[in-house]
Amino acid sequence: MQLDTDFMTRHIPDFVHAAGLSLSIGGIAILLSLSVACIYSAILFFQVPILKGFVRAHVEVARNTPLLIQLFFLYYGLPSIGIKLSSMTVVFIAMTFLGGGYFTEVFRSGLDAVTKTQAESGLALGLSRMQLFRYVIMPQAFRISIPALFANFIFLLKETTIVSAVAVPELLYTTTSYISLYYKTYEMLLMMTICYLIIFLPLSFLLSCIERRYQYGTHGH
Amino acid sequence: MKKKKLGTLILSALLLIGVLAGCGNSADGGNKSAAGSLDAIKKRGKLIVGVFSDKPPFGFTDEKGNYIGFDNDLAKRFAKDLLGDESKVEFVPVEPASRIPYLQSDKVDLILANMTVTDARKEQVDFTNPTMKVATQVLVSDKSGIKTLDDLKGKKIIVTKGTTADIYLTEHRKDVELIKYDKNTESLQALKDGRGDGYAQDNFILISWAKDNPGFHLIDEKLEKEAPIAPAVKKGNTELRDWVNKELQTLGKEHYLIELYNKYVKDALGADTDPYEVITEDGKI
Repeated sequence: MQLDTDFMTRHIPDFVHAAGLSLSIGGIAILLSLSVACIYSAILFFQVPILKGFVRAHVEVARNTPLLIQLFFLYYGLPSIGIKLSSMTVVFIAMTFLGGGYFTEVFRSGLDAVTKTQAESGLALGLSRMQLFRYVIMPQAFRISIPALFANFIFLLKETTIVSAVAVPELLYTTTSYISLYYKTYEMLLMMTICYLIIFLPLSFLLSCIERRYQYGTHGH
Repeated sequence: MKKKKLGTLILSALLLIGVLAGCGNSADGGNKSAAGSLDAIKKRGKLIVGVFSDKPPFGFTDEKGNYIGFDNDLAKRFAKDLLGDESKVEFVPVEPASRIPYLQSDKVDLILANMTVTDARKEQVDFTNPTMKVATQVLVSDKSGIKTLDDLKGKKIIVTKGTTADIYLTEHRKDVELIKYDKNTESLQALKDGRGDGYAQDNFILISWAKDNPGFHLIDEKLEKEAPIAPAVKKGNTELRDWVNKELQTLGKEHYLIELYNKYVKDALGADTDPYEVITEDGKI
């Protein structure tokens, strides 16, 4: 097999641009999802009536429907009832919906893992429920959640490939566009894979370093 | 510890590149073994054809999921004349952009999916003699105010990835903002939802769709001059290409393509269209 390396180098700028878009979509989606998950976790922790049910329902729907279907529903389904959202809006709604659901589950398992004696001791010391959550439970739960949370960051970033379906020019969209225009299938797939590796390998390396730092007390390296 | 981690990093990178290179090689090796040769097809007992499933009247499915349409019926006829039974055909649904990769990676023997013959495509696959002629046009919403191709400047135009309209507009009209979808149905839905001012595509598909969807009209000017549409085989598969050419000649004598035209295409284009403006029977380009 002869790779057309000239063609590949010529299109590096396009791929850099597309990779930037993939990363920004992923990054913003992670921040939005985190905010949603924090609010949701608080709702679940304080057992807020009505809202609690809403959060549970969201988490279940988000975790049990594919992202592609959520995107199609928002993009092609909603206009039939007169709601037309732009691709980018659709992408952020769908990814936050998905990420929010998953991150909430991660935080929930973190909160569950904090031993009951911690809460009881806090209350015995006279902390209010708010103080208990803020100073005792949250910090511990967060640390426990970190490995799972980071795994979910990577998961959500990888999910950005799916948004090419609604014509957002990220990495996969760029790749398939060039394949369909110039039929350089292997070259473009290789370029895409390299781009993802350049993004993800250092990122998982960085995240596992951070993870190790936070687990310092528990693991005793 | 850190060194070990870095080692893992480099190893995984190497592994992936190795896997990729491996994929390429095996696909290339397929060239010699001629997966689509007549012998291989007969031995297998079925002809594998890449077709459209969402492009009436050329390639689509009925309510039961059976593949029908001009191209799809022609594929059944090929199977009947090659293997003795029209059921000895396996349909593989393709999208415009996946047609050539499917041939290149030996996933199908033949592509019968309304593919226009272009110079760039000729370098990638071998076309048989044509079955039709087509031109690309732009369907615009009546409200868009677009009257000529010049008016497209700065407008949002929808295309389906890998179609001749996509290729033409990408290369020659940098002043047009293109929105690209993978499927024809997605593009049409996007046009209907007003996500673009127009949709550029082969004109038959547009004419046929616009009949059922008022509020849209074709710009008279054509994007490119008429071009032939032909079945395609993998590059170098002359055996199957020659068989298809001979078969098309035989079918031409019995006016089989006109029969298919009357069955599927006539209603979509209107009875006043001369079938010979669309169909190529003599096999000449």
